[in-house]
Amino acid sequence: MPGLYVHVPFCLKKCDYCDFFSYPLTGNKVALVDLYLTGLKAEIQLCQKDAPSGVSSLFVGGGTPTVLELEDLARLLQLLNQGFLLKPGVEATLEGNPGTLSAAKLELLRCSGINRFSLGVQALNDKCLKEIGRSHTSEQVGLSIQLIRAAGFDNLNLDLMFGLPNQSMLDWQQTLEQALKFNPEHLSIYGLMLEESTPLARRLRSAEPGTILLPDDELQARMYTWACTRLETLGYLHYETANFALPGFECRHNLNYWNGEDYLGIGPSAVSCLRGLRWRNIENIKEYGCLLAKGQQPSEKSELESLPLRVRMAERVILGLRLAKGVNLGAFQKDFGLDIRDIYGEVIRKHEKTGVLFVREGHLCLNQKYCFLANSVLQDFV
Amino acid sequence: MGQASQKIRNFSIIAHIDHGKSTLADRLIEYTGALTAREMASQVLDSMDLERERGITIKLQAIQLHYLAKDGQVYELNLIDTPGHVDFTYEVSRSLAACEGALLVVDAAQGIEAQTLANVYLALENNLEILPVINKIDLPGAEPERVMHEIEDVIGLDAAEAILASAKTGVGIQDILEVIVQKIPPPSGEDSAPLQALIFDSHFDAYKGAISNVRIIEGRIAKGTQIMMMSSGKTFEVTEVGVLTPAICLVEELKAGQVGYIAASIKNVRDTQVGDTITSAQNPALSPLPGYRKATPMVFCGLYPVLQSDYDRLRDSLEKLHLNDASLVFEPETSAALGFGFRCGFLGLLHMEIVQERLEREYDLNLITTAPSVIYLVKNSQGDVLSIDNPAHLPPAVEIIAIEEPMVKAAIMVPSEYIGAIMELNQDKRGQYLGMEYLSANRVNITYEVPLNEIVYDYFDQLKSRTKGYASLDYVLSGYKEADLVKLDILLSGEIVDALSFIVHKDRAQIRGRRLVEKLRRIIPRQMFEIPIQAVIGSKVIARETVSALRKDVLAKCYGGDISRKRKLLEKQKEGKKRMKQVGNVEIPQDAFMAVLQIDDKK
Repeated sequence: MPGLYVHVPFCLKKCDYCDFFSYPLTGNKVALVDLYLTGLKAEIQLCQKDAPSGVSSLFVGGGTPTVLELEDLARLLQLLNQGFLLKPGVEATLEGNPGTLSAAKLELLRCSGINRFSLGVQALNDKCLKEIGRSHTSEQVGLSIQLIRAAGFDNLNLDLMFGLPNQSMLDWQQTLEQALKFNPEHLSIYGLMLEESTPLARRLRSAEPGTILLPDDELQARMYTWACTRLETLGYLHYETANFALPGFECRHNLNYWNGEDYLGIGPSAVSCLRGLRWRNIENIKEYGCLLAKGQQPSEKSELESLPLRVRMAERVILGLRLAKGVNLGAFQKDFGLDIRDIYGEVIRKHEKTGVLFVREGHLCLNQKYCFLANSVLQDFV
Repeated sequence: MGQASQKIRNFSIIAHIDHGKSTLADRLIEYTGALTAREMASQVLDSMDLERERGITIKLQAIQLHYLAKDGQVYELNLIDTPGHVDFTYEVSRSLAACEGALLVVDAAQGIEAQTLANVYLALENNLEILPVINKIDLPGAEPERVMHEIEDVIGLDAAEAILASAKTGVGIQDILEVIVQKIPPPSGEDSAPLQALIFDSHFDAYKGAISNVRIIEGRIAKGTQIMMMSSGKTFEVTEVGVLTPAICLVEELKAGQVGYIAASIKNVRDTQVGDTITSAQNPALSPLPGYRKATPMVFCGLYPVLQSDYDRLRDSLEKLHLNDASLVFEPETSAALGFGFRCGFLGLLHMEIVQERLEREYDLNLITTAPSVIYLVKNSQGDVLSIDNPAHLPPAVEIIAIEEPMVKAAIMVPSEYIGAIMELNQDKRGQYLGMEYLSANRVNITYEVPLNEIVYDYFDQLKSRTKGYASLDYVLSGYKEADLVKLDILLSGEIVDALSFIVHKDRAQIRGRRLVEKLRRIIPRQMFEIPIQAVIGSKVIARETVSALRKDVLAKCYGGDISRKRKLLEKQKEGKKRMKQVGNVEIPQDAFMAVLQIDDKK
């Protein structure tokens, strides 16, 4: 059973650091939403066959799914419920951002089987929120969480970011402490990644020297380490490089990726990976709609990848080492018919000698001390 | 039978890089080509076909041109190419020894450049008629008047008759051909005398064996002639005699005064050493032509494949290069840090760079080059004298009685305003002043005795930077001298990296060790662990630096849509590391092994 990802390519406004495929949803885009939903309906019909016995998890992300009007949101959820079998108890997450929620929308989500909410918070400091072009204040975050909780969501994730322009260690500590007051079951903590084509990257390139300071690697490492320690003392499990959860609240949809399972992605720009093939849907709503209207796959032909065994094994390790639990050696053997040491014996030995990698309970693990340096290790496996 | 033809002119072109030597050569070939084509059409075609069939590439070393001069006579002009660098001074001198004249080509905008001078002086030493040509007069910045003055002032040639030319537009080409005919003397020599042919270049052809480019000084040579190499006494039978026009053109024979090539099924290019004299086995000449000198390697370095699996390919490639370049020597060696590789000997630093570049480009090898060394003579306590070309092989200090290092006599020609800079440089480089003479009002020739060890260090770069490129350098080995030398070792994370060891004068060890560890700290990228770098002499640490550990090297997030992209990012990161050598736990970039050369004592 694959996991299902649904991309909703609309936002209130694009954030300055974001390079995901998404349109700011202003008044005249109503037609575009309709085009999207019509396309999605057709795509679901095309790919239902890829999930004959249902999906193992659902994640509706974006963009900002909650930016959709109530009726559109209802139509979207109805399409999903009609198209795919979601067994009771299967994790179903929907993403949203402060300023786009309402009691009615949240009620609708609950009734439609959404049982986990992921809120984009990023920072709880208005200066930092402004620096990265978020369209909400920290006060709105609190109000949103009240609404989410009131609707009965007992599995809430908050996305936070560190390493923001002009962010100090204290700014970051205050953000995390504020966030913890909301008792989230799950926290995703990302270091800011500067993507070439984003307004933020352009602003940093053209800024007068000294006016915008990005925290250096040293400060980012301290921010990250501090957060890890703080969260662990509160009982959060640091179960993946960037993810923390109270026991039992690990995100199953994402674990699916890290364990190297198949996944199906629908909506423009969504990526699917099934039976060793990976493809990406086209990043254009009109073309997406047109292709589907003609009954064609809405995927980007040039990006279709047939993953050779070697690449699949490398990805299994790259993804698995992000998990505290590590790469499941039994599953590796079962899926590839080879002992991991037949392929990576030399590399593994090299890193075992320095204590960077170790085997525990049938899993190959990365010493969490080196979590923030993972690439130095992972590149030996590609 | 009799005297060499009066209608032959042998010449070369002396020019700084970019001053238009090859364009000019092309123009001369083109201008004279019409006649050649008419007269030798059949031969040219034949040989071209042959060339095509066999896929031979012809090295343009000596081209025969036929020129119908204004006096109505057809002249045979032989254009002989010259390499242009101090490493190959000996080769240049052999090329020039095959000529009676030389065109001195100077860029009308840039004027005389330092490197041209050494070759002009070599030409003068060989009593060549020098014909100045001021090229590129079509350029907007051309100042032929100024350049003429320079030629008069700096070289002391009468520039009044210098030809103004533009190889690009064709202006002056006929004037050049005329002046070659009128000013350059015809060769002397008797074609009935015992054979004396000077090898001025040789290369290896997979089908014909070693090919010698020769200038016949006396006598004649034809297919079937039994020849003898005067340096070795080895004999061969000539299988082919020809000239290049530039197509291969077989000829019956070459006579006194002529230039061409011979093949004699010679399996090894070492038997056709540049500078050697070929004579007749039946009727040998009494003595060889002057100047035969075996090209001996002076500079040594280790060449190691980055990937040990490339070792065999490296050996094969070196062997192939050696076929064409007898002066390149190599033997296997092992380094604890770098694994299996070769210690290679070169004529000089440029020769070393050329070989390295050819291995990397033509043979697609990824190499690590260790810093160049020279041959030290080490007297040990047993009374033996060891010759050490690899610093890692120097015996422990307690076993050493004395170390001698090779010295060179260096001649530096420079505008007089830089005399101070030259003296300062030589003081820094342990040079002994020998003398100075004025070549003209503002140009001097300064001679120093300098340890070769300092020359291979960064002497040439320093010379150029301290004189804005105006100095030219020539040097010859002048013997060995005892010096107070020590071996300096580098430790990374506590382990000696033998490939980074070098031998240095005791007085300079401290500063050079300190500069090197500082340099290494900048070159070695941060890694997962902290890396202490130490410079030691024996067991004494003289300098220490630390590369602190990497702090952040992680993909912030990685979900379904990111995986391919992130994997490619890691692949790219790995690709970037390919040029690094793993020594123990430390990854060392290739240029670290050359870093020892790029440290400025003064900084």
